[in-house]
Amino acid sequence: MNDPMKLAAMAVDHAQSAGAQEADARINRLRLENLSVKNGQLGIAEAPEEFGIGVRVFHKGCSGFAAAPLGLGDGESLAKELAKRALKNAEALSVACAEVRTLAPTASGEHDWQTPVELDAFAIPLADKLDLLNRWEASMKGASETVVRQSNYSARREEQWQATSAGARIHQVLARAGGNISTTAVAKGQTQRRSYPSSFGGQFKAGGFEHLLSMKCDEHGERMRDESVALCHADPCPGGERTLVIGGSQLMLQIHESVGHPNELDRVFGHEVDLAGSSFAKPEMLGGFQYGSEHVNLVADSTIPGGLDTRGFDDEGVASGRWPIVEKGVFQGFHTDRTWAGKVGEAQSRATCRSDGWYHPPIIRITNLSLMPGTWGFDELIADCEDGSIYMDTVKMWSIDQRRLNFQFTCEVAWEIQGGKLGRLLRNPTYQGTTPAFWNSCDAVCKEEHWELWGLTNCGKGNPMQVAEMSHGAAPARFRGVQLIPAE
Amino acid sequence: MGILSRDQALAVARSILERSEADETEVILQSAEERFVRFAGSGPTQNGDRHRHQVSIRARVHCADGIREARATCDGIGDQQTSGALARAFELAQLAPPDSALGKLEGAYAGMRELGSEVLDLATLEHSFEDKAARVRQALALSKEAKLEPAGLMHTGGESLTIVNSAGREVHDGRTRASLSLTASVPGFDGGAGIAEATTERVAQLNPEEVFRRAIEKALMTSNARAIDPGQYTVLLEPIAVSSFLLFASYLGFGAQEVQEESSFLCGRIGQQLFPEALNVHDDANNAVLRNYAFDMEGTRKQRVPLIQNGVLQPPVTDADWARRLGVANTGHALAKPNTDGPKATDLVVAPGKHSAQELLAGIQRGLLITQFHYTNLIDPKDLLLTGMTRNGTFLVEGGEIVGAVKNLRYTESLVNALGNLSGIANEQEVAGALFDGVLITPAMRIENFRFTSSTDF
Repeated sequence: MNDPMKLAAMAVDHAQSAGAQEADARINRLRLENLSVKNGQLGIAEAPEEFGIGVRVFHKGCSGFAAAPLGLGDGESLAKELAKRALKNAEALSVACAEVRTLAPTASGEHDWQTPVELDAFAIPLADKLDLLNRWEASMKGASETVVRQSNYSARREEQWQATSAGARIHQVLARAGGNISTTAVAKGQTQRRSYPSSFGGQFKAGGFEHLLSMKCDEHGERMRDESVALCHADPCPGGERTLVIGGSQLMLQIHESVGHPNELDRVFGHEVDLAGSSFAKPEMLGGFQYGSEHVNLVADSTIPGGLDTRGFDDEGVASGRWPIVEKGVFQGFHTDRTWAGKVGEAQSRATCRSDGWYHPPIIRITNLSLMPGTWGFDELIADCEDGSIYMDTVKMWSIDQRRLNFQFTCEVAWEIQGGKLGRLLRNPTYQGTTPAFWNSCDAVCKEEHWELWGLTNCGKGNPMQVAEMSHGAAPARFRGVQLIPAE
Repeated sequence: MGILSRDQALAVARSILERSEADETEVILQSAEERFVRFAGSGPTQNGDRHRHQVSIRARVHCADGIREARATCDGIGDQQTSGALARAFELAQLAPPDSALGKLEGAYAGMRELGSEVLDLATLEHSFEDKAARVRQALALSKEAKLEPAGLMHTGGESLTIVNSAGREVHDGRTRASLSLTASVPGFDGGAGIAEATTERVAQLNPEEVFRRAIEKALMTSNARAIDPGQYTVLLEPIAVSSFLLFASYLGFGAQEVQEESSFLCGRIGQQLFPEALNVHDDANNAVLRNYAFDMEGTRKQRVPLIQNGVLQPPVTDADWARRLGVANTGHALAKPNTDGPKATDLVVAPGKHSAQELLAGIQRGLLITQFHYTNLIDPKDLLLTGMTRNGTFLVEGGEIVGAVKNLRYTESLVNALGNLSGIANEQEVAGALFDGVLITPAMRIENFRFTSSTDF
């Protein structure tokens, strides 16, 4: 049998006929392309492909999951074998199940959903992609202090066939693309990096190669080179309590770490304690806890155009949606799955249960989660800051505790604000705080024209570890009385 | 089909080589079979019963200006999938800029075929979910008895690694792993908790009850934690705490490329006595505690490399390219090529000291016992300046004795500074993991003047 949907449905039918209470099966075909040019050479040239099936059953209040690659041998036998093993494992584990779980409903019927793509990244000739990366990399040449110049591109296409015992037959094609430039200079005993438009692999959006063409990284190469060299000669960022304006490419990670992760219901209930940790957020805080100031509006949205977790359905077959997490500073909602949504009084899952390909069982993941724009112009906001305030941007380092309260972030670059303008450059800017105090110190968010949806491709969670992708929209925002620490 | 045997894996890899049109080809085939269950107070929360194969093909094309190379991977071993990966690797390689610094792939060497082994321990490879359920029930029962919330993992399985290249190199190795962990938390997850974990080559080597009781005992000690001010303290770091700290030298420090790019803490310090003489760190895949693969991702035999010898920093690890560029020996520490990271020391072993951890603790007038650091990350690579949080048991030590639990603290400290302030190494090694991957074999360490920069209220 070559039809993946029929194969997935067969696994589900087999599990049900063998006694499973519920079952779902996902077949994933993943294609990736990663290219990096480093110091004039092709540093990374990878083209991975994955194709496999994962079958999940619910039986006697417990789940069972089995997975194997497809493409070798008899797919029908494999699908049945996995269904049988998943059921057997659920049966074996059910003796240790201490709490009966009731699953929230899921979709039924046939559905087809595809990421809108203007230019299929995989159809662009490789030579054209290398030309682009070579041009980006070359734009950072010209400084003797430079030790690394790197341009990166990555594209991903994931095709899914999902069948559930509720009768859903879901076919999805999810695509994203992106990249960046990054350069490192060494001088005066310092090693300093600058990246554009963001660091750690770069900026990604759902879609195709059109995003790469719109980034125009080569127009920013000289500036990145010069800033990386200048940072080696710059003063270290001072410590003390200061007003801080944080740029969007840094604020997106602040959202991710201090709002997204504590908002995952499995963390709240202690299921992730053995590795990633728990959460300070509790169900009883909903509707009353002042998570942030009145300027803080955070919205989860797995339907937003361009989001890395924008899709029709999650990996439990639940339809995507949009809902408030923090509204005018007040805590309003969680990320959930079918198993645990009922424990916070919700009839439906929020469709935030995803797996890293066919090999892993789905777990609760952050979806696209954004700080909504405010009313300030960027220049207007800087002009409104007192002397000694700091503007910083671009992720360099992040760390946050196991309850997602105490955090410390370092950015690639900062400027001191003097006379209402950006003044001297400062290196290793580092700030520290606790989550509710930090978000409650927000007194201004820039308006929509400064707002950007930033893609994050390296979110690790689970044990064994799974990697997920999502986006966070943010505009520069101002926070009062933030503790900066000298990081040298 | 689960994990591949040596003969099966070599047959797949050789058939890919035979189909290659490239001037040089290298095939890396990894095969894994694993079963795991995660659990919490409600019982099992996730599980998996799965196998996979990962094929990585490096194709190389020779030209007048050097060698062009690229890599493609797939997770199937059928002819259709591997031919697709081969074609993608070859296509990419033809377009890659030539690198005149690259040498040809290295071929067979003496002892190559005797390296490594099959995955031998069937009890670990086939450890059942019935057996895992029994351990989950045991963890839940012991935690309930102590009025604590459990969360943990039991994970068993086997992996094999096979590397074949067109120059005649053929190597294969297999290993099994069994790991078990429990974090026992005070209900509410508001701070008090204890952790214990164990990783072994064979499931029979695990002692689940000992692991569970150790976590619970630690958690029970964390009640009534008091707040203390951040500042500098003498610390006794248990092995799990050492791992999340020292592993950053593995990620970014002990490799030849980062030294050349001047982003390593080794830069300008090789040969210097920076640390006490008692400190000896090797990269040693063939160590007696937890053996790793015998060769690197180019199939080169991994050497036992001194990295810190009697407190003196030693030269970094290399791979074939970096050894050639620097004119030094290849130590066998390649990652899959091509990559932008260079060679890495992935099997760090810290030699044991002479005193027990208890004796080291007894020598602390006022300080802290640290069980674990959470979310350690790198601020500055040149001194390996790191930050992270304490977790799962932080205790005040006065007059050589634990006097009570303290609330968690954030540290900001450089590895270079901390190892320079090392005042004792315990005499028992443990296998310890870290959040960002990797495993370290290390005893506990006592360090003076360790810097904590902020505190929490839990």
